[in-house]
Amino acid sequence: MSPEALEQELDQLHPAAFGWALACCSGDRAAAEDALQASYLKVLDGRARFDGRASVRTWIFSVVRYTVAELRRRAAVRRWLPLAALGATSDGRPDAVTELVRADGTRRLTEALATLPRRQREVLHLVFYQDLTIAEAALVAGVSLGTARTHYERGKAALRKLLKEEPE
Amino acid sequence: MTERNDHDLGEQFRALRREDTTAAPAFRATLAAARARRAATPRRRALGLAAAALVLAGVAVALLLARRGVPIDLATVRLKTPTDFLLALPNEELLRTVPELGRVTITLDRRTP
Repeated sequence: MSPEALEQELDQLHPAAFGWALACCSGDRAAAEDALQASYLKVLDGRARFDGRASVRTWIFSVVRYTVAELRRRAAVRRWLPLAALGATSDGRPDAVTELVRADGTRRLTEALATLPRRQREVLHLVFYQDLTIAEAALVAGVSLGTARTHYERGKAALRKLLKEEPE
Repeated sequence: MTERNDHDLGEQFRALRREDTTAAPAFRATLAAARARRAATPRRRALGLAAAALVLAGVAVALLLARRGVPIDLATVRLKTPTDFLLALPNEELLRTVPELGRVTITLDRRTP
């Protein structure tokens, strides 16, 4: 795929990719933007290659997920370094501005999602938010179809239960 | 993929998506920031490598200085080659000691006929 074609694909998928990055970063907008920039660089520099096994969308989402994990690992290492205080590292929580602008309904949803295990949260996001099939979600999340299905069912049940509970 | 009774959940996620879409940064701005980052990365990497090289050089110098003070006693150093045993002879102590009358120093190997 030519760089121009890739850039065009990225442009089209940008809002969805941002939503996915935001979900991977637990609502931390700055971390999501960082991850998205790093992912786009990987794609445009050819460090992440599209092999045609899945759709471009699924592939880009995988790159974003992998990049978020990579940045999270680096941030964890940086926290132990003596110079960590000089550069603020993301704490993996939703930032105040993002939470403030959310409507009540969506805020309840993000709060409930935040309490779920990461894999369940990822699969639910990919299926409900991104309208992917469970098979595609499994590809993005890097798990087997059976595992993705289990995360989907358990996550859905847990989310329903949490949303039914009265807000405090 | 979602079932019909998942409509309520789907609706909530769609509302979340609408909010995120309006708050998403522009693609061009994200790309420009990514490219600016790429331009800055080699310099940062070079700085990091230079810092690592400096630390390694410091450790090497410190080790050399610490070892300089320790004297090496050549008298205690003896090179032993792996084939040394070939030069060992049976009862070779006879060649190094003066025999004394009334004292047997030879130990016979009972396995030899």
